[in-house]
Amino acid sequence: MKPSAPSLLKATFAIVQKDLAAELRSRELLSAMLVFSMLVILIFNFALELNIDVRKSVTAGVLWTTFAFAGTLGLNRSMAVEKDRGCMDGLLLAPVDRSAIFFGKAISNLAFMLIVEAIVIPMYAILYNETRIFQPEFLGVLLLGSIGYIAVGTLLSAMSVQTRTRDVLLPILLFPVAVPVLLASVKASGGIITGAPFAEILTPLNLLIVYDIVFIAISFMVFDYVVEE
Amino acid sequence: METYPDTSSYMVAGYIVSFLTMGIYVLSMYIRNRNLKRDLETLEDMDTNKKK
Amino acid sequence: MQSKPIALTILDILSVISLGVATYFALVFAPTELFMGQVQRVFYFHVGTAWVGMLGFILAAIAGIIYLINKDMRWDRFEVAAVEISTMFFFITIVLGSIWARPAWNTWWTWDPRLTTAAITELIYIAYFMLRAGIEDPEKRARFGAVYTLLGGISVPITFMVIRLFRTIHPVVIGNESAAAQGGFSMSGDMVTAMLVSFAAFTIIFIDLMWHRIRIGGLQDKVEELKLKVSM
Repeated sequence: MKPSAPSLLKATFAIVQKDLAAELRSRELLSAMLVFSMLVILIFNFALELNIDVRKSVTAGVLWTTFAFAGTLGLNRSMAVEKDRGCMDGLLLAPVDRSAIFFGKAISNLAFMLIVEAIVIPMYAILYNETRIFQPEFLGVLLLGSIGYIAVGTLLSAMSVQTRTRDVLLPILLFPVAVPVLLASVKASGGIITGAPFAEILTPLNLLIVYDIVFIAISFMVFDYVVEE
Repeated sequence: METYPDTSSYMVAGYIVSFLTMGIYVLSMYIRNRNLKRDLETLEDMDTNKKK
Repeated sequence: MQSKPIALTILDILSVISLGVATYFALVFAPTELFMGQVQRVFYFHVGTAWVGMLGFILAAIAGIIYLINKDMRWDRFEVAAVEISTMFFFITIVLGSIWARPAWNTWWTWDPRLTTAAITELIYIAYFMLRAGIEDPEKRARFGAVYTLLGGISVPITFMVIRLFRTIHPVVIGNESAAAQGGFSMSGDMVTAMLVSFAAFTIIFIDLMWHRIRIGGLQDKVEELKLKVSM
């Protein structure tokens, strides 16, 4: 590495800082994700008749569906901004490793997703009087699931913004590939809510961790091919 | 069980679907091939005319 | 213009013959299964198409990796051919499975791991074609396609493992855990023969179709190149 080039860690955090600062000023991404999440939960309330019995079994599913949809909204926007304002070209020209761009974008996307989750979860708890979702295990699964989802999502959104059909393409590309994270998360967090024995939660949890590791590694390796001109 | 349950209509439907799908695919390849060859001929003509 | 190689013509004839032989073995040679009757005969084409479907997706992922390393457009053509043909065969697999499931499980569809994974695989590769359709630059199209087949190839087995956490009723015919599944059947020697014939036949057909599709891919690239040349 050239002596003038900043280290990978420094460059990554510079990108994260830039994204968070920009978001702090405009708040357009977070507000869109939040309002959208609220609307999805509202619609689920009527679509599923969320009474006490039903709630126990579907809470995990409702929350994950909400986060997955809100997540694509955020991922799309966060990458489209880079592309439209020409920031991506600037980033690519900067003397930093390409993987710094991937990790930087992924970490800021993850931050947005976690912020949305941190607001939606208490809101859901209040609306449905559901306090079981505050267990540390549940929040841990939420974090693991979000990491895997965002890792693939960041890579695919970098691809989808460069296509003609970019607005519609991201969910179509992302959902089938992200099925394992979504299902494993639903299974694990659902088990935690219903108080299933730990052995039952362990298998989906292991698969979730495997998925996270494999897909962070793959996304990081192929990101170069996605942004190169 | 001495008598087979009569499920032969399902079997016939299954094989019709299989052959139909493969047939349509092969046909689509044939049409694509033909169109491409025609395009290629036209383009080659245009190319040689341009050179003159 | 390159003419059709003789080997390809021979392969064409061979494919037609092997399709005929496989049909004969499935419909006439194999004994009728006792509990399900005639419908069990779709099984031979079901496993045959499933085999080449999976083969194609694995080959596509490998071709994608090779393309990313050496950037040779021939591997891109190979990858597209494999995905397209496999998507077609996998469609047959799913429909045949559904037709078999109706009398055997009394339902057209269940959310069983194999069925669900098959459906998701099919969706991934439909998404693959939508992705490619949205990109004009051939080099970029090839690059993104390769990345996506790679992601798909890795996610499908994990999907299967995750969905298996929910219960299964799909019989495991190859291997020996079939006791728990409904609609399982023990295969007699003739049934195994018919199945192996079907595997072999679909492999030959697959190779033949691949060859044709790769040639069409080459033709497409040539036309595109010429279009550019003429318009300049």
